[in-house]
Amino acid sequence: MSGVEETLNETVEVKEDNEFDGEVEDHPVDDYMADPTRYVFYRDRKDWADLEPVPQDDGPSPVVKIAYSEKFSDVYDYFRALLKNDERSERAFALTADAIELNAANYTVWHYRRVLLQALAKDLREEMRYITAIIEEQPKNYQVWHHRRMVVEWLNDPSEELEFIADILSQDAKNYHAWQHRQWVIQEYKLWESELEFVENLLEEDVRNNSAWNQRHFVISHTTGFSDAGVLDREIQYCLNQIRKAPHNESAWNYLKGMLQDRGLSTQPGLLEKVLELKETHCSPYLLAFLFDCYEDSLESSSQKENIDEEEQKISLKKALEICELLAQDKDTIRKEYWLFLGRSLKAKYGGGDGGTDALSEDPEASVPTSEPQELN
Amino acid sequence: MAEEESQFEEFEQIDFLRDRHVRFFQRTLQVLPERYASLETTRLTIIFFALSGLDVLDALDMIDRNMMIEWIYSLQVLPTEDQSNLSRCGFRGSSHIGIPYTTKGPGVLHPYDSGHVAMTYTGLCSLLILGDDLSRVNKQACLAGLRALQLEDGSFYAVPEGSENDIRFIYCAASICYMLDDWSGMDIQKAIDYIRGSLSYDNGFGQGAGRESHGGWTYCAIASLCLMGRLEEALSQRELDRIRRWCIMRQQSGFHGRPNKPVDTCYSFWVGATLELLDVFQYTNFDRNRSFILSTQDRLVGGFAKWPDSHPDPLHAYLGLCGLSLIGEPSLRKVHPALNITQRAFQHLQQLQQTWRDSSGSCLRQH
Repeated sequence: MSGVEETLNETVEVKEDNEFDGEVEDHPVDDYMADPTRYVFYRDRKDWADLEPVPQDDGPSPVVKIAYSEKFSDVYDYFRALLKNDERSERAFALTADAIELNAANYTVWHYRRVLLQALAKDLREEMRYITAIIEEQPKNYQVWHHRRMVVEWLNDPSEELEFIADILSQDAKNYHAWQHRQWVIQEYKLWESELEFVENLLEEDVRNNSAWNQRHFVISHTTGFSDAGVLDREIQYCLNQIRKAPHNESAWNYLKGMLQDRGLSTQPGLLEKVLELKETHCSPYLLAFLFDCYEDSLESSSQKENIDEEEQKISLKKALEICELLAQDKDTIRKEYWLFLGRSLKAKYGGGDGGTDALSEDPEASVPTSEPQELN
Repeated sequence: MAEEESQFEEFEQIDFLRDRHVRFFQRTLQVLPERYASLETTRLTIIFFALSGLDVLDALDMIDRNMMIEWIYSLQVLPTEDQSNLSRCGFRGSSHIGIPYTTKGPGVLHPYDSGHVAMTYTGLCSLLILGDDLSRVNKQACLAGLRALQLEDGSFYAVPEGSENDIRFIYCAASICYMLDDWSGMDIQKAIDYIRGSLSYDNGFGQGAGRESHGGWTYCAIASLCLMGRLEEALSQRELDRIRRWCIMRQQSGFHGRPNKPVDTCYSFWVGATLELLDVFQYTNFDRNRSFILSTQDRLVGGFAKWPDSHPDPLHAYLGLCGLSLIGEPSLRKVHPALNITQRAFQHLQQLQQTWRDSSGSCLRQH
């Protein structure tokens, strides 16, 4: 549980309101039940007459002032009045819904609503229905997701979550809030079982969904882990299959590299060969970058051995520098300067004494960036 | 052939409409229509975007500085007489709670009044931009409020009542400590642990452990470590190189925030500034970045939008300018990449901090 939920000093007992939204009245209506579709300002409601509204006070020279309508100001003037007295009542609870409808990003309203939910022992299942509807309307708002998390925690019941989040993701498969909530629910309540299947379905729909790839890594690292040789092999195969289907997909390559970068990129049996094959038919900047990283990895690990195989090193270096050149001049020109820089750095680190034959580096001894500053027109 | 040529000329001539942007920010500082209601609790961040934007444009001279400074100080949550609310001090985003306007203490006791970490951060920045000396900031109260927001795992809440907690608020906290020159506001090591825990398998940073890597959170991670002076202590050279790679791969024309997502003007700053902090921004393609940012420029009302042919907003207008400043657009002031204020405002901060140190030094010498 988060935060400081303050305890009650007094409860204000008030008859429950029935409000109906609709047209705004120009003059006060004593009995709005006569036409329930007419919206009545709080200032004109008899059962709010005891409360003095509190206007917003921005002083003599307000900055970034938002021009609120009468209806908006009215609701929030009464919200401020309730807050000041820390009123704990049904009418206060009802007003928070109006305030949320006008501005669902006001975190104070949401906090106050949670205070009331507890103080009035409100039906949390009903609150789940309420927050479900709000999130469906405004799925990119931080406050609504935080509120849902609080209610789920109070209920200690995550049973609706995976389905609900799946529905939100069906509207926007990359909604960061939705994925975050999903990870929280799964981790908190240990709901790992069907998640890999869920991820695979999403990747079937869109193999470039980076959020789904991230979730795949999340699930596996928290369940079987990647150290199991069988799992690692399966995942490598999975990546390569997805790459064959859609070669220009950074997410798949990031996942492959991510799994292997601390397990010896260059020492996975048969992988380098497979990638070199793919280079002929399914090339991409990501494939080439992966190859570069393999060669760099082999240079690093071989340089740490007792007996350094200089020939092997020269070959790896040459191949790595060729990749840099290919990327810089042809396959990933937007990052030309970066690939040239990497080539220079690699050469400086592993180039040895013979100066090399490639055209990349002007100064073999340079280990610092030597790029010209870019001029703007 | 002629048509192709004239299209090419048009492309080359996308010009930067400085005056439109000045007016955009000036209007932002005045009145916004009701459809901006969702910004009420974050109005101080909007002021920051406008003021810092005008600063980058070197157009602050037309602002009534004193008026703005007073208004910002009216948002400070000050300690009450009995100091019982210290853990709630800082700055509010706006007057939405209904506290009567005042720029003086002591604080008013109110059951729901407290600061918000992002508002304390942007409030301090805004005061600095306006040339204020922060002498009316109750620094100890701000730091007490900050300490109250940090969780065991090192991340921060936004408000003491509780909220979501993640890396964004670590960045706000680090900026606050940096500006106030006082790191007692946070447990640095715990924050570093949380940041490290947010490093994804693909070498970007997510909002927390396990979460998808993202340009905005990567900025928060790296900028925080830079402000703490712990970048190379917290991350190995290998990790830093991998992070550089993740960041530089975000450039498509402009930059996007996550792999396989569309480019968006604001990432020209979030990712660009991160690359600058990592010393490799010089290896990005300035021309294509510039072309994209300018394609989101609103030629009529000024400002920038996230995408071309979309509505401009203060955040994208400000970050679009910062993105252009990073690539050296003439007529724009340079931006401090970690603190996200102009170098001019940063120098003002440095001078202030020097006077604080001098005066505390002289106090010590007197005893």
